[in-house]
Amino acid sequence: MRSKNLLFVFVLIATLALPLGAMAQDDGERPLIGAWDTCADPMSLSGEVKIGVAFAQSEAAAIYGVPQQQAVELAIAEINESGYLGEATLVAVTEDAGSTPETAISAFTNLVAEDVSAIIGPTLSNQAMAADPVAFGTERQESGDPLIPVVGVSNTRTGMETDFAASYGDGGAYFRRVSLPESKVIPGTVEQVVDILGIETVGIMYSDNDQFTASAYEVFVSALEEIGVEIVATETFATGDVDFTAQLTNIIAAEPDAIIVSALAAEIVPLLEQARSQLGYTGPIIGGNGFNTPGIASEDRGAGTDANGVVVGGAWNVARQNEISTAFTAKYEEEYGTPADQFAVQAYTGTWVVATAIRCADSADPTAVLEALASTADFETPLGTFSFDEEGLPEHEPVAQIIKDGQYLLLTEESAAEVFGE
Amino acid sequence: MGFISDTLASIGLNEFVITLMFVNAILAMSIYLTLYGGMFSLANAGFMAIGSYVSVILTQNHDWPFLPAILAGMVAAGLIAIPIGLPVLRLRDIYLAIATIGFVEITRIMILNFDKIIAEAYTRLHMESEPPKITNGPLGITGIPVETKLEYLVVTVIILSYFMIRMHRSRFGRALAAIRQDENVAASQGINVVYYKNAAFILGAMMAGLGGGFSGHLSRIIQPGSYGFGTAVDILAYSVLGGISSWYGPILGGLALTALPEVLRPLKEYTGLINGVVLLIFIAYLPGGLGDPALWRSVRRNMSRMVHLINKGKTADAGA
Amino acid sequence: MQASNPVLKLKSVAITVLVMLGIALLAYELPDILDKKVLSPEQHLTTVIWVGSVYSLFALGYALVFSILGVLNLSHSAVFMWGGYIGVMSVIRYDIPIYYTLPLAMLGGGIIGVLVDLIAFAPLRRRNAPRISQLISSLGASAVLVNLAQLEFGTSPERFPRTTLKELPYEATVARPYTIDWLGAEFRITPLQVSIVVIAFALMFLLQYLVARTKTGKAMRVVAFNQKVAGLLSISVGGIFRLTFFLAGALAGAAGVLYALAYPSLTPFTGDEMALKGLTVIVLGGLGSIRGAVLGGLLVAAFEVYATAIGYSWLKDALPFVALFLILLFRPQGLLGEATVKRA
Repeated sequence: MRSKNLLFVFVLIATLALPLGAMAQDDGERPLIGAWDTCADPMSLSGEVKIGVAFAQSEAAAIYGVPQQQAVELAIAEINESGYLGEATLVAVTEDAGSTPETAISAFTNLVAEDVSAIIGPTLSNQAMAADPVAFGTERQESGDPLIPVVGVSNTRTGMETDFAASYGDGGAYFRRVSLPESKVIPGTVEQVVDILGIETVGIMYSDNDQFTASAYEVFVSALEEIGVEIVATETFATGDVDFTAQLTNIIAAEPDAIIVSALAAEIVPLLEQARSQLGYTGPIIGGNGFNTPGIASEDRGAGTDANGVVVGGAWNVARQNEISTAFTAKYEEEYGTPADQFAVQAYTGTWVVATAIRCADSADPTAVLEALASTADFETPLGTFSFDEEGLPEHEPVAQIIKDGQYLLLTEESAAEVFGE
Repeated sequence: MGFISDTLASIGLNEFVITLMFVNAILAMSIYLTLYGGMFSLANAGFMAIGSYVSVILTQNHDWPFLPAILAGMVAAGLIAIPIGLPVLRLRDIYLAIATIGFVEITRIMILNFDKIIAEAYTRLHMESEPPKITNGPLGITGIPVETKLEYLVVTVIILSYFMIRMHRSRFGRALAAIRQDENVAASQGINVVYYKNAAFILGAMMAGLGGGFSGHLSRIIQPGSYGFGTAVDILAYSVLGGISSWYGPILGGLALTALPEVLRPLKEYTGLINGVVLLIFIAYLPGGLGDPALWRSVRRNMSRMVHLINKGKTADAGA
Repeated sequence: MQASNPVLKLKSVAITVLVMLGIALLAYELPDILDKKVLSPEQHLTTVIWVGSVYSLFALGYALVFSILGVLNLSHSAVFMWGGYIGVMSVIRYDIPIYYTLPLAMLGGGIIGVLVDLIAFAPLRRRNAPRISQLISSLGASAVLVNLAQLEFGTSPERFPRTTLKELPYEATVARPYTIDWLGAEFRITPLQVSIVVIAFALMFLLQYLVARTKTGKAMRVVAFNQKVAGLLSISVGGIFRLTFFLAGALAGAAGVLYALAYPSLTPFTGDEMALKGLTVIVLGGLGSIRGAVLGGLLVAAFEVYATAIGYSWLKDALPFVALFLILLFRPQGLLGEATVKRA
């Protein structure tokens, strides 16, 4: 009898231990990213925790939205496989936000009806201005439904936090972004470039019918005024243009020390070839965030050597990798066959930031998630150490780099000398 | 009501989409007037922009209430239509279409650079004060409260429909129809061609301005980029696909074409493709549009035939 | 089609010469007129010719279809974009030598053109649908083509790989400009630009020859004049339509490849940017006129470039339309168009 009992107990223990062992194995493959130790494993979460994901999957902005969507899916798979949310699984409710404010509003309207804990997206800043208030704006506040936090991962327009606070009061605080606004990237880059390259005059060209490039242009101008650099020529073009020789001819003839360009990714390669090969300009070209695309410096498919001497400031770049971003970029490339760009990295970071907020709040309640989100501090991400500052703006170190022969080098006296051969 | 809106939402037509559908129905009606008079004008996207910006600037910067503001936007569009229509309506067909597209693009670029022009004027006139920022260039005007309600739009569509039905039977409508048939013949019958063409153009512009005012107070942000070539062509597509042989055709077209991509949302990246394919099939099999009276007549005939057959079956059953 | 009346012909030649002279003169006189310093007028003039020839070649397809069928084919810009992709992708994916991309894209563009006719135009013609419905139908075809490209090629900008450009005869100099010093005028131009201008004009002359001088061209003109008459003369109207779409598609394909060679940034939306420019070009020049399309292309390019040259780059997209308004006020049929045709 006794041995039978013992056997029974043994079998019982073995059956119980098996899944435990399996779980322990899961924990062994912890991703490098995550607040594993700062926040305890969530105990009260269970079932499905839904987050809304709305990026541009169609029309022109899909160029940014597709990598964003892929990165989010990759992050969610990691989060669920590693048991980051304990018993609960993170489920993405996905909507195509299209490329216009209207399609984004429609996507957000569908998402808030699904009782999501938070929403990640949309791709463009103007879409965010239009659609984010669906989750926390006047109508939502009046309806009495819970306000839902919205995390932007590519909205770089300056002053969105204050604009939302002005229009929607406390609801405005439900907007968070992990993407640095231009006002946090450009002034630093400009100062560094001017200092290192000894620039006194610049010519600027920008696309004047695009919100992103025009807003970056304004930040450039105020940053230049601040440090007393003279603007000797200003030229505009339209998004989608491919011939910039007339504008460049004017700017080059004004003989500036450097040319500042605020353009979207599709305009940059023709612009560089026309400036360098066609018109023979050899000076530095300082780019806005649009230049922060790995393809432009590619020898065969980008501008090749014509991209030499391009200086870019950005939230992230391959030039500055940490452990987490190396792991992510490798995994991303393996999964999707293309190198990760800053949009993918930011979307990946945003998803982990949201998941961390859910874990630390130990709750799927949107307001609890927001509170945890707002107190995100010193979180190690592919973008570096990430925090929200007192005004709710994202904070991490931006990076200035210079292109040489297809490589992004950190901008220093040495690398600049190497490129311009001083 | 709750049940209906839930059902609609489940196929992708949430409240916002339905509101947008009616705004586009108004825009589609606005182009119907000029098409009815045989004028291939695509200017309405420009008038929509004017209505939108004027009304939003009034509600945002000057604290006007919503209703007077959108009426002011409507009047502004009508006023600008007068000097545009007089020279442009002498053109015909594609020439008119492209010239009016030119108007749309010029309007867009003027709105885009409005602040720049004002600033330039200030420096030229040596004015001391800081030039105001009015249209805010490509960044657009943001934080616009959502004032456009579905009820207003439905009422507007009903009023405009009444106006359209009356128009068909009126002297005005008959004059436009005659002009569409043949301008020279119409003129020889003593119809003041220039007057009627311009009147239709201005009325269409006002309707577009009204639609613009509604759309401006719907999506919290307005930007010049929303009122270009693409929008001009979209408005035309609404009315042509809906059918221009009846007043209700454009309404149907505006509703259906706005709803279609939203209903197709679950197809993800294939949405755009299938949307285009559906459009092609529709136009190939219904060249008269959704509102083609002949189509509806045949539907009614088939329906009554079916009812007839069913009844006949019943009587047959009863007889047995 | 082309004016056969000698007086009209003289008039159109006169207009052409006047406009060309105007463009050249403007380059030099604008600075004085506006009291603005224009930097490097020769460089700007080079840009006008180079950009203008790409516009013209693109717009020719619109003009051709309109002159024979009397409808605007709004999918032309999408065929153009596909032409570019056929060229670029045959090099990237299948290592096809760059020389073959031009004929390949012309063939591909032509086939897509015929398909567009079969799907978007022919069913409507059979039903005698209004021309405005055909316009919307072609818009649907355009949406389908753009979406297909997006699904197949993605939205990141593509280009001819730089290494393959070096296969062209001038090797390393292909992208490198010659600085030309001619009568004191100094400007820079690349061999690639020169060859694109040459190919563009050669294609335009070929088309002009085909339409004006050959038997097929004569048949096309008869169809354009009156389809019933063409039927009586036992000309295959359907065949002529298909040929027209094939030629227009081939031109779009050629323009697409040249565009992709010239500008290393091809996306599925490239055509959309060109669509409006092309329409402006043919209306400025006169609908259905081949010479008009060439002239219109140069004019639109001139307005864009000179607006920039005098420091008003923000007005460059509005100026062609202002000019269009003014020209249409005095010549409602465009610069070289014929006055009598009435078409929707």
